[in-house]
Amino acid sequence: MSAHEGMQEPNYLEFKGKYKGIYSWIFSTDHKRIGLLYLFSILSLFVIGATIGLLMKFELIAPGKTIMDAKAYNAFFTLHGIIMIFAVVIPGLPAVFGNFMLPLQIGAKDVAFPKLNLLSWYLYVAGVLMVVISQFTGDQAPDTGWTFYAPYSFRTAGNMLPAVFGAFLLGFSSILTGLNFLVTIHRMRAPGMTWLRMPLFPWTLYATAWIQLLATPIVGITLLMIVAERLFNIGFFDPTLGGDPVLYQHLFWTYSHPAVYIMILPAMGAISEIIPTFARKIIFGYKFMVASSLLIAFVGYFVWGHHMFTANMSGKALYIFSLLTFLVAIPSAIKVFNWISTLYKASIYLQTPFFWAMAFIFVFMIGGFSGLIIGSLAADVHLHDTHFVVAHFHFIVFGGTGFAFFGAAHYWFPKITGKMYDALWANIGLTVFFIGFITLYMPMFFLGVAGMPRRYFDYDEVFHTGNIISTMGSWILYSGLSIIITNLFVSLKRGVKAPADPWGGSTLEWTIPSPPPVENFIETPIITKGPYSYK
Amino acid sequence: MQPTPGIDASNYVSSFNLAFYFIVAVSLLFMIGLTVLMLYFVFKYNRKKNARAVQIDGDLRLEILWTVVPTLLALLMFYFGWSGWKPMTKAPDDAMVVTSVARMWSFSFAYENGKTSQDLVVPVNKPVKINLVALDVIHSLFIPEFRIKSDMVPGRETMMWFLPQREGQYDLYCAEYCGLQHSYMSSTVKVLSEEDYLAWYTDTTAVTTVAEGSAPGSEGFAILKARGCNACHTSDGSKLIGPSYLNLFGEQQIVIRDGKEVPVMVDEEYIKKAIYDPNSEITKGYPKGLMQSYTGIVSEEEIEKIIEYLKSLNEQ
Amino acid sequence: MEEHRDDLASKTGMWLFLFTEMLLFGGLFVVYSVYRYINADAFHLAAQELSVPVGTINTIILLISSATIAMSVTAIRKNNKKLSLLLLGFTILLGLVFLGNKYFEWGHHIKENIYPGSPVLASRGQGDVLFYGLYYFMTGLHALHIIIGLVFIGFIARLIIKDRIVSDNYVLLENSGLYWHLVDLIWIFLFPLFYLIT
Ligand code: HEA
Ligand code: HEA
Ligand code: HEC
Ligand code: CUA
Ligand SMILES: [Cu+2]
Repeated sequence: MSAHEGMQEPNYLEFKGKYKGIYSWIFSTDHKRIGLLYLFSILSLFVIGATIGLLMKFELIAPGKTIMDAKAYNAFFTLHGIIMIFAVVIPGLPAVFGNFMLPLQIGAKDVAFPKLNLLSWYLYVAGVLMVVISQFTGDQAPDTGWTFYAPYSFRTAGNMLPAVFGAFLLGFSSILTGLNFLVTIHRMRAPGMTWLRMPLFPWTLYATAWIQLLATPIVGITLLMIVAERLFNIGFFDPTLGGDPVLYQHLFWTYSHPAVYIMILPAMGAISEIIPTFARKIIFGYKFMVASSLLIAFVGYFVWGHHMFTANMSGKALYIFSLLTFLVAIPSAIKVFNWISTLYKASIYLQTPFFWAMAFIFVFMIGGFSGLIIGSLAADVHLHDTHFVVAHFHFIVFGGTGFAFFGAAHYWFPKITGKMYDALWANIGLTVFFIGFITLYMPMFFLGVAGMPRRYFDYDEVFHTGNIISTMGSWILYSGLSIIITNLFVSLKRGVKAPADPWGGSTLEWTIPSPPPVENFIETPIITKGPYSYK
Repeated sequence: MQPTPGIDASNYVSSFNLAFYFIVAVSLLFMIGLTVLMLYFVFKYNRKKNARAVQIDGDLRLEILWTVVPTLLALLMFYFGWSGWKPMTKAPDDAMVVTSVARMWSFSFAYENGKTSQDLVVPVNKPVKINLVALDVIHSLFIPEFRIKSDMVPGRETMMWFLPQREGQYDLYCAEYCGLQHSYMSSTVKVLSEEDYLAWYTDTTAVTTVAEGSAPGSEGFAILKARGCNACHTSDGSKLIGPSYLNLFGEQQIVIRDGKEVPVMVDEEYIKKAIYDPNSEITKGYPKGLMQSYTGIVSEEEIEKIIEYLKSLNEQ
Repeated sequence: MEEHRDDLASKTGMWLFLFTEMLLFGGLFVVYSVYRYINADAFHLAAQELSVPVGTINTIILLISSATIAMSVTAIRKNNKKLSLLLLGFTILLGLVFLGNKYFEWGHHIKENIYPGSPVLASRGQGDVLFYGLYYFMTGLHALHIIIGLVFIGFIARLIIKDRIVSDNYVLLENSGLYWHLVDLIWIFLFPLFYLIT
């Protein structure tokens, strides 16, 4: 155990700085407080986005109009997509747990640029506000889907400018976070922490940060072009002025495909922390885990064309994209195999975070395998833009990143808040959530194979059964999620005090008290061995 | 018509099935295997049964094994997908040609003899090549039962082709999001026998002039309906995408011409211009570029009937 | 909490940021190349209408300003505060002259009714529409970077006056120099694309 136990250093929650009350949060440059600012903003947005999802499912329970008209439905899936992608899952793990845990796990006092870190959060809030404003000003809410495809995004009467600009700001915020983490990891590791002694979560953040840095500017400029196009009729992607709408899709996916790895890599990192901790065992194939993260980030740049298999792109070089899509699945496969092998001859401590990790592996496999199906040219020609794709990405984005987010939340809850949560309710919540999740999204695979296109407000009678089951799943999911969130909030108040290391973890964050002191480490730790060294 | 069992609806069904079920089978194998293994480990190496973990930091042979085997399987998956897709890129030379025109929010199909139709009617067992034209935004022509879809990109000449193998009626959807009525942008594929198709093809009596009753303007209304105008305009005064027909004719109205607001009188000339060249004058408060020209699609006589209908709406 | 100082970290951060800026313009260069490829002739003719002398003068101005800001860094390192400030002032002046030239150049085109969305431009065909669309957008975005750079340099000059940037702590000045070089570099790409390759 740690030598700091019992010292009178104030923790970061009690610390009294220059400012009081709310200002002590929104002006704080402490990475831990900023992490919580993000947590709070992201959770609120998640609840909004999820409630919209619930309403959409309600609309789809029967053919024809049930609770909203087509205009509202189109605006809803657009807002749902923008919120969930740009404001929830992309910043999700890096900005919340990355901010909080990265300095702790590498033995640093803070990130490299604390003020820039706070600026990122301001940009994030500004971006979200712009998106919100777009809903309530102008004639009509944006209705293009989160992909803003040209030329529809120039033609619609929807109030696109603030929404697109908001997405641009969110991207900018993401770039700055990535930049900050890169420099932090390069410059601020504790003495003795060589690259190969760094835990896996920082490693995935590192790979992610490169993607954030190298891919986000492309979508940034593309979104600016949309803004300019709507304001000045420049003609970038407008066929009547000579522009090429397919070029827009290329630029958009050049970012947005790597972006899906921004979402999943930190999630994989969190799972790679949880599994060794609860297995009491060094991770199987550490070096391969590191290499696969970097490989995913790298190969991920060259597969964007798989979103455009039916777009009639010029050159017909589609099969290259398909081939690379299959190859990018291999590093993910390596990760799954290593996680499961870590359990071999382990001594598994069955706790909620571990159950989340198991659930993650299961749904991630379903999501990944469905990705292989749509990565196959002949299959995607049929399945593209159907509910099969919707099922794929909910399984892997919500199932992958979302499950890992909740797993990480339960794993680090004691460290962040200094309280333990109620394990029984947490497990009940997870079970209900899991059942709801499968019931909600599994039928969408069948609907997609049967040919139900996505972004359809109304559908033919043949698709009715699947949609009923799916909608009922969304209610179960809703119940599960409410249990989980309520349990965490109640435990904040009533939970018993958490020790420094409730799970017996071996990474640095468990060597300091919970909640951590303001300066993190009283003495800078000196690292002599790799992470996950259990004896 | 009841589909004949045993025959695939199109030439792509079998290659789709091969690619799809191969990946599903491999996936299920791995899914079940890995899940069972995971659960087994969790039971066997539970803390209660196994108090001390054995530290194993990796195994190079295993790593190589589970890199190489999935890679080979993935290459095989790629191959099936690729070989099923390859034929789609080039239509046979003897294919019959249909031109499909998509606009918000309807499809129309033009045949070589000048016939146009709202449905896609094709003979069985003859390759069909469809030239894809989009007038406003991107649409996508999707025939689920044929396992084929292709985007229709404005300003780009593209095509798709298929071989219908089974007589019957099939759904045709627009699969690329294109605005408000995207989910209503659908049509039907009718695969007919050779004789039925010929009969249909050579029958050139116009379809749109069937009057629905004898009220004044009812012919005009039928035209509006058949040409897909009602996707954007209503007769009851409510605003959908464009202005309503109600109380339109004979009224004063503000339009934007070359960036300036000018008052105009809605008369016969104006209506004709609004249909043939809608973007030269934009009604104030409405977006530009949504309505496309109907030159060559709506004839002058038809416009007269439409105007008759518009007038009938005013008298109420 | 006391802030620890790590100049290498600041500089690494700046380099990474400049990298993202390059990519931002990189996206535009891709768009430019694609449309140039499709509309080779129209781009060729339209490019001849831009004034090469004005473009050349602006290029020289930016190159000199890059030199002056680099010299300013050397000056502060040698503890010559006055010279350093003078050179910064000179840099700002050159930046303003550049913007002035740009202003007249744009004004000239706009007077001829050549701007995005203008009917005159539209009547000249799609290649011209795209060329001028890109011209205005890319040089406009570049000008925006110049303005940001000038504000940044002004802010740095204030810090020098207040002795916050001194001979052993000048990383901020160095970073603003790096930024200014980048802005210069981007212009070096823009200049041939719009003025020279005809
Ligand atoms: C977290 C985000 C995330 C992740 C990680 C992925 C991962 C993958 N995705 Fe997904 N994808 C999305 C988010 C994501 N995707 C989103 C949001 C969209 C829709 C966007 C929109 O249109 O709105 C999309 C759309 C999408 C498409 C376009 C579909 C279409 O529109 O027609 C395709 C096509 O190739 C695809 C493929 C893949 C593949 C092959 C992977 C692979 O990386 C998966 C790899 C994982 C595995 C394969 C499982 C583990 C492996 C094993 C257990 C070993 C066995 C393996 C073998 C035998 C090979 N995705
Ligand atoms: C992180 C990503 C994410 C997540 C989590 C979700 C979650 C959900 N999504 Fe998702 N979805 C997307 C990302 C995501 N979605 C994207 C990118 C698109 C594409 C958009 C486009 O086409 O442009 C999409 C599209 C999309 C569609 C397709 C629309 C169409 O094509 O026609 C549908 C339809 O059913 C849907 C439904 C849902 C549902 C029911 C949920 C649910 O799972 C939500 C689940 C949660 C709840 C139901 C619980 C809410 C909880 C509370 C309110 C708790 C409150 C309690 C307390 C605080 C105590 N989504
Ligand atoms: C994609 C949507 C759409 C379709 C389909 C469409 N219109 Fe329009 N229409 C509009 C819009 C938007 C306007 C207003 C802007 C303008 O003046 O161009 C408009 C304007 C008009 C006007 C002028 C009304 C006024 O207030 O000045 C007439 C007349 C008209 N349309 C007739 C038709 C006819 C006839 C058809 C079918 C043959 C048709 N429209 C199909 C969208 C559509
Ligand atoms: Cu046309 Cu969707
Ligand atoms: Cu992708």
